[in-house]
Amino acid sequence: MIAAPAMLSSVLALAEGPLDAHAAPELRWAGLALLLPLASSVLCLLCGWLKVRSKLPAALTIAALGGAFATILRLQGTVGETPVVVNLFDWIDLTWGDGSRFHGFTANVDLYIDRLTVFWMLFVTGLGTLIALYASEYMESDVGKGYTRFFGAVSIFLFAMGCLVMGGNLVMLYLGWEGVGLASYLLIGYYFTKPEAVAAAKKAFIVNRIGDLGLALALFLIWQCYGTVEYAALWKAIEAAPASSEWTAQAIPWLLMLGAFGKSAQLPLYVWLPDAMEGPTPVSALIHAATMVTAGVYLIARMFPLFVVNPDALAAVAWVGGLTALLAATIGMAQYDMKRIWAYSTISQLGYMFLGLGVGTTFGASYHVFTHAFFKALLFLTAGAVMHGFAGQLDIRKLSGLLKVPGFRLVSVLAVLGCFWLAAFPFTAAFFSKDEILVSAFTAKDDRVHLLGWIGLLVAALTAYYTFRVCFRVFFGPVKFEPGHELHGHDDHDHAHDAHAHHGEFHPHGPRWAIRVPLVLIAIGAILAGWPSYRTMLHHDESNWVKTQVAQSSAFQGVAAESHGSLDGHAASSHASAHTEDAHADHGHLVLGMDAHTAVGRLGSLACIVGILVSLYVHLINRGTADALRRTLMGTVATRWIVVGAERKWMVDEFYDWVIRLPLRVIANILSAIDELLLDAGIVNGIGALPAAVGRVFRPLYGGVVQGYAVTMAGGVALVAAWVIWIWLRGAN
Amino acid sequence: MVDMSQTVALLAPEIVLFVASMLVAVLGLSRSTGVRSLVPWVCVVALIGSILALDAVWTPERIQGARLLFPMLGKYGKTIVALIGIGLVAVSAGSIDRRYEEAVARGRASFDALRVVRGEYYAFLLLSLTGAMLVMSAPDLIWLFLGLELVSLPTYIMVAVARTGRRSMEAAMKYFFLGALATGITLYGFAMLYGATGTMQLIPMRDVLVAQAAVGGLSTTAIVGTILTVLGLCFKLAAVPMHFYAPDVYEGAPLPVTAFLSFTPKIAGFSALITVLGIVGWSGHAMVDHDGVRIAYEGLPQPITAVLWMVAALTMFLGNIGGILQTSLKRTLAYSSIANSGYMLVGVIIGPKGGIGAMYLFMLGYGVMTVATFGVLAALERKGEEVDSFESLAGLRASHPWLAFLLTVSALSLIGVPPLFGALAKIVLVFVAFEGGQATLAGVLLLNTAIGAVYYLRFVGAAVVNPINAKSQEVVTVSHRWPKVAAVVAGLGLIVLPAFLSRLVDASATTVNGYIDYGETVASESKR
Repeated sequence: MIAAPAMLSSVLALAEGPLDAHAAPELRWAGLALLLPLASSVLCLLCGWLKVRSKLPAALTIAALGGAFATILRLQGTVGETPVVVNLFDWIDLTWGDGSRFHGFTANVDLYIDRLTVFWMLFVTGLGTLIALYASEYMESDVGKGYTRFFGAVSIFLFAMGCLVMGGNLVMLYLGWEGVGLASYLLIGYYFTKPEAVAAAKKAFIVNRIGDLGLALALFLIWQCYGTVEYAALWKAIEAAPASSEWTAQAIPWLLMLGAFGKSAQLPLYVWLPDAMEGPTPVSALIHAATMVTAGVYLIARMFPLFVVNPDALAAVAWVGGLTALLAATIGMAQYDMKRIWAYSTISQLGYMFLGLGVGTTFGASYHVFTHAFFKALLFLTAGAVMHGFAGQLDIRKLSGLLKVPGFRLVSVLAVLGCFWLAAFPFTAAFFSKDEILVSAFTAKDDRVHLLGWIGLLVAALTAYYTFRVCFRVFFGPVKFEPGHELHGHDDHDHAHDAHAHHGEFHPHGPRWAIRVPLVLIAIGAILAGWPSYRTMLHHDESNWVKTQVAQSSAFQGVAAESHGSLDGHAASSHASAHTEDAHADHGHLVLGMDAHTAVGRLGSLACIVGILVSLYVHLINRGTADALRRTLMGTVATRWIVVGAERKWMVDEFYDWVIRLPLRVIANILSAIDELLLDAGIVNGIGALPAAVGRVFRPLYGGVVQGYAVTMAGGVALVAAWVIWIWLRGAN
Repeated sequence: MVDMSQTVALLAPEIVLFVASMLVAVLGLSRSTGVRSLVPWVCVVALIGSILALDAVWTPERIQGARLLFPMLGKYGKTIVALIGIGLVAVSAGSIDRRYEEAVARGRASFDALRVVRGEYYAFLLLSLTGAMLVMSAPDLIWLFLGLELVSLPTYIMVAVARTGRRSMEAAMKYFFLGALATGITLYGFAMLYGATGTMQLIPMRDVLVAQAAVGGLSTTAIVGTILTVLGLCFKLAAVPMHFYAPDVYEGAPLPVTAFLSFTPKIAGFSALITVLGIVGWSGHAMVDHDGVRIAYEGLPQPITAVLWMVAALTMFLGNIGGILQTSLKRTLAYSSIANSGYMLVGVIIGPKGGIGAMYLFMLGYGVMTVATFGVLAALERKGEEVDSFESLAGLRASHPWLAFLLTVSALSLIGVPPLFGALAKIVLVFVAFEGGQATLAGVLLLNTAIGAVYYLRFVGAAVVNPINAKSQEVVTVSHRWPKVAAVVAGLGLIVLPAFLSRLVDASATTVNGYIDYGETVASESKR
């Protein structure tokens, strides 16, 4: 059997583009990015087994993740414009029949490394390292209890995420996909003595199963339609036959979409993410905000060649993204738990990313993933620091003026900074990435998505409002706080708290270096994330690092080659010119009489500033207005639904309960009754009794008596011989 | 001319095992406890030595000289025999002579050379493995027959020697009597094959049959001879209609011997089976139809395919349905062993184009699962007796979590739950059956997998779900580490081996390398 890379290199030779991979056995060290987290998860397991009661697991994890980050950094310098396939080892490489197409199945442990892979892994491992460092202090009350379990699961997560992003075929992607799901389940249910945490973990797992079913089916269909699940060969197969009208080929993007929506918490499968905040805060920051939930975006960006040929699917992605962004923003406006607000904002921002993918800008979507990863991690981690210091308090009505609380100044400043980023304040990184998405929405060739540009602007205003609602309530205003009842959602830790409880007062304790350093570094990262756009602004240098990364990958069709002048990645040009006739220049499009870029820039800034100003008045200058407004709305029947709906999350959970869980439960009970009464009692026991009855008939023959066995055996041989001779004779006539 | 010294050199692995068997027979009688406890170590060293010897002597020239029908079969097959053999030694180490040795150690009994069975037991174990290896490099029917006898004769004694109970005596008697009967049938088949071809050498035999097929079809004597041989060999496989002995003998034999019986005779039997079927070949024999026109027929000659088809299907069904009805662990595993033979027969029917490779892959998986399952059971005891009921396993999860985990893994692997190795081996088998045009048989296999799940899940249910009860409270682990180590290594193997799937598929496919199916050339000529 021929190893995959050998096959590839023979096909290559011709034009080198972002889809033409070549084997690169010399890059095998890139496998360290997977091996190190795997090793640290095994070592954490050992620590647990040896009952290590120190911070050793954290040190191991941080070292391994740092190593993985260094590997990826080095890879960034090594990988060129064309993707490479690195074979780590042969796993499944089967052929049958004549070994031609559809007569083989190859899924080796390969890495498919192009610029998109490296781009994704850079922030996954980078943030992973910093957040692990943060967690080493955050989780310290659990040393000797769940500490090893926590870091073991974080390592497993990074390993699985590496498989997902770096894997060279869909089987590895799928395994990684399930692996991150498992890690997410383990970490959401980390406080497994808390019923809510267990319920949330189960909910996340089950809802994700629905999406994973879609992904699995898509995988099967891809093999059936294209005869391979390896990216390198798959791109070739798609190029050879891009638009198959077979329903199986048409279904693939829809099923992939289902998978992506499950993992990335989009309509209709977003319900698990807010509950996932039951997990420890570093987990919320790492898995449920910055990295894992972007896996869906990665999936669609990676499989973009399959989406480009199916405009209906792309439009659906755009609409689901846009509507999710709107829905989550409205819910986020009416919540009181800081972490939950950030969770809804995550769903909403993910909606933007899918909107970007759907309107055909993989660049905008990836850019937003990148900027979002930093500022959302920052917001969650500052929320965690607050929670850590205030004994689990997260209610924005019970915290105020933290900027003036000693020990929390740095945290508060950074949180406020994060709020500016989330609100996409003009000239922050998120402003540019969101701008990119909205411009593409306005200028998309597909008329069906133009309305989404306006929805996106509306959501921008809502986002600014709810972000600064938290900001003004918690960090500004008079100093006032109540400590929470629990300590990071569990029991007996705080020495200080217990001591001061005697005096009837509470002194919050500020974070130490292991929390402060990652916070500062991530804040710097959040600022630097906008660097490509700043360069464009200041130096009129049109090259954009993120754009280059995306253009030199399988998602290149979502990078409009002409829109920002020339790409410095010329690799895309040969292919892009062939494939992106529809990625036309957006300068020609007019919005409100201005060209799309100017219009979106101005309208976006306006939306953001209006949102902040409303928030400023309602939540800082005159805090009474918010309650007054709520009372007014509640007072009128016609408007009451707005408040109740938003506060109760538009009843989506209840709706699912009634429409899905209840019927399922009823059906399950009916089936169970049928099973017990009819199947078990009648058929199964009947069939079970049959052989016994038959056995009873024959028992005299061989009731353990050896002669009986002998006669039966000889008789069996004689019967077979007679039968053969009979068919033999019949055949001969 | 066949160079005798080269043939002898090829037998180095068997010679190593034979010498070791003589050595352990003597060491086992030593007065010193230390020397006696060395015996399993000697066995393991000998088995590793035989693998190394195999590697050293297996050169293309020697194989050429040996004139074997399946020249490469031995390389893979003997390695598997030795590897699983190590596991079987480890499973035995905890049980054989244990109570007597404990009594000696506590000073309650004095050493009596007539009461220890250790020496004989391990000597016979190694001899039987030697037989299995010999079968795989048989150039003629006499060698094949002697190899098969060397597999069986020691096992008759092993059933009786290791326990002085009435039941094991009875089992040994039954096994011996019925084994003799089956051997007679095999031998009768051999005689007819000799009569049909006039030679005992396998390759000349194949050539004679090819010539026969070319001039109007195989002779009836050859067909009937092959079928009788196949039916006789069914005893070794524990396949219908020769499966009756299995439940009684497996139950009566001591646990490690049961483990041994469910692997060693099976791999020897399957190797002998494909060797005999290799004479007639899988690749299309010209058949003469009513109008005297020669038509090519894919696969084994039709009557043989029909018999094997029926045997395979019935073996699967009887094995699995029988398994459902049992309460004894060993009887359940006996039926499981019957059913697994049925699965492997599917591979034999498909033949060298993937089928035999898939069969040997499955055999490897089955061997590992056998070691894992019996390793767990051998690691447990209740009041100094073997554990032999599902009741005794209840609550194992609480008392011995690791053993419960390993038992669960091996049971799930036996069912065929991905990604465990048993599942992948089974998937390959089903796949090959579909590709080879035996879709119905593949369907039967899948259906039986579902039926089999019923009793395999009983192991899981007992160990993991059921609460501890009065009976299982008294279950403790034996003091010996060997069975536990065997279970851990084999159980982890089931988890880790899938990572090397492609390599193992390739390796098991090498078994048919060098086998030339002359029927193929005849068939293609007749098509012209």
